[in-house]
Amino acid sequence: MSDVIFQAENIVKHFGGVHAVEDVSLSVIAGSIQAIIGPNGAGKSTLFNALSGFYKCDSGKVTFKGVDITTAPIHRRIAMGMGRTFQTSSIFPNLSVYDNLLIGLQSAANLAFRFRPVDATQHKTIEEKAERLLDFVNLKASAHRPVAELAHGSQRLCEIAMSLSTDPVLVMLDEPMAGLAHAETTRVVEVIRKLHSELGLTVLFVEHNMRVVLSLAQRIMVLDRGRVLAEGTPAEISANEAVRDAYIGKEVIESV
Amino acid sequence: MRMSNRAGLIAALVLLVLLILTPQIAPLLHLAISVCTEVLLFAIAAMAVNLLIGYTGVLPFGNAAFFGLGAYGAGLTIQFWHVKFFSSIGLGVLAALIGAFLIGPFLLRRRGIYFSLLFIAFGQVFYFLAYRFTDITGGEDGMNFARPVIEGTSFSPPDGSFYYMMLGFFVLIGILFWLLVRSPFGRSLIAIKENETRARYLGLDTDRFIFVALLISAAIEGLAGACYGLSIMFADPLQLDWHQSGNFVLMTILGGSGTIFGPFIGSLIFVIGSDILSSAIPWWQIPLGALFVVCVLGFPKGILGTILDALEKRRGGFGYEARDTLHGTVASEREIQP
Repeated sequence: MSDVIFQAENIVKHFGGVHAVEDVSLSVIAGSIQAIIGPNGAGKSTLFNALSGFYKCDSGKVTFKGVDITTAPIHRRIAMGMGRTFQTSSIFPNLSVYDNLLIGLQSAANLAFRFRPVDATQHKTIEEKAERLLDFVNLKASAHRPVAELAHGSQRLCEIAMSLSTDPVLVMLDEPMAGLAHAETTRVVEVIRKLHSELGLTVLFVEHNMRVVLSLAQRIMVLDRGRVLAEGTPAEISANEAVRDAYIGKEVIESV
Repeated sequence: MRMSNRAGLIAALVLLVLLILTPQIAPLLHLAISVCTEVLLFAIAAMAVNLLIGYTGVLPFGNAAFFGLGAYGAGLTIQFWHVKFFSSIGLGVLAALIGAFLIGPFLLRRRGIYFSLLFIAFGQVFYFLAYRFTDITGGEDGMNFARPVIEGTSFSPPDGSFYYMMLGFFVLIGILFWLLVRSPFGRSLIAIKENETRARYLGLDTDRFIFVALLISAAIEGLAGACYGLSIMFADPLQLDWHQSGNFVLMTILGGSGTIFGPFIGSLIFVIGSDILSSAIPWWQIPLGALFVVCVLGFPKGILGTILDALEKRRGGFGYEARDTLHGTVASEREIQP
């Protein structure tokens, strides 16, 4: 059962004198939902950026599907089946939702470098895939509106759909609930749940919202000051004294 | 066909008719035909710049290096190898392409303002080469050469027919440009302009895309430069200079970057404007500079961009940049980010 799809060993990332990530190791089981939590400045986002190739690791090793990708360029990671979102939605603001998806779809179909127009069958395949993605995140009604005009939550859903457009097996979400209103949170949580239950994808996410983490994640890793403080199931993490002291806060855990 | 496409096509045909009639109209306006040729050639060069500014999102502040390489490529091969008309243009394009191939990998190491600064620096290398190697290039004085005969004939086109040949190039480049920015490759470039990080995380090797865009841009600009050299039968270091780069950037932004016809409008205003102003007042560059400031501050989408935006909004759209690229792309002119 424990089929590790993504593994990081002894990751170190310093910025000058700041030891943002210090010797962190992590394994992600294929088909699971795992979360990384920790107080502000714990190094969650840095770790995430190091794992997804946005930063170079100072040392350590990252393996994806058994292949060493520590120094692999981003486009190779995407081709291997990695997808990610950012803390502040990273989208093409002036393009329509449909076009935002189109860029990833034509990239996945190896058409991005083509100078001639796509032929009818390829066009049809892409359009069908776009429809499916729009359905999945429920953005069909806004398909032809520029993303910049959508509400924050819809932009986040658009970004998740974009990260799916390249057919990933592992989706990495960097604080998917950041800056969302309560109602929007529910929509996004539903979509993330569906990533796992409907599409069978492996999900690794960083999140601040404890309710979301405890309700979604199967395994949780707690970071504090760049190091791993604890690791385990939601129940184990909730019961962990060190984690409680570090930041979670008693009320939240008891209320869940 | 969408209405905007049809309107664009009609506008293009009207423009084409006007350009065909230009040699008849120009004398009535006291314009020399060589000035009209210059409008076309600078418009081609500005289109090359537009590919990078308006569709890829990088600021090419040294782009005239490719323009000058085109002019010297044609001039030197005419002078020393006695090549004929179209071969000299082809060799000018080749010179620009080789230049882009050499400096491209260095430029791509940086983005934003650093890309632009590196571009100026590497562009100036060619300026100093032309300036220094006096024996070959004539140095500061530049080099004169005769317009060669066309392959297989003993005909060297005079200014009148030369204009029509350049109009042919202008139309050809315009059509290829239109096809390019609508192709999947063009859409990928627009994505890179909109958000390069996201484009990377959708699997695009953005360095490769920007490099190819740079090569295409250099080839177009080399063509414009080679033809410009043949037009005035002269090449000099100022054609390679970063001031010249600035002029092409100005034309692009003034006319409307990210639009097909914007660079032509920019070139028209710039060339005709400086032609009229420079004969009237000695400080003619000041009003031109002021116009640029007004443009950047007041309507950053440029003349054509602002008009298209207004038309699209009147029709209840979201602005011309929001049109689905699949059905017809005009990329937006966003603020240039460092």
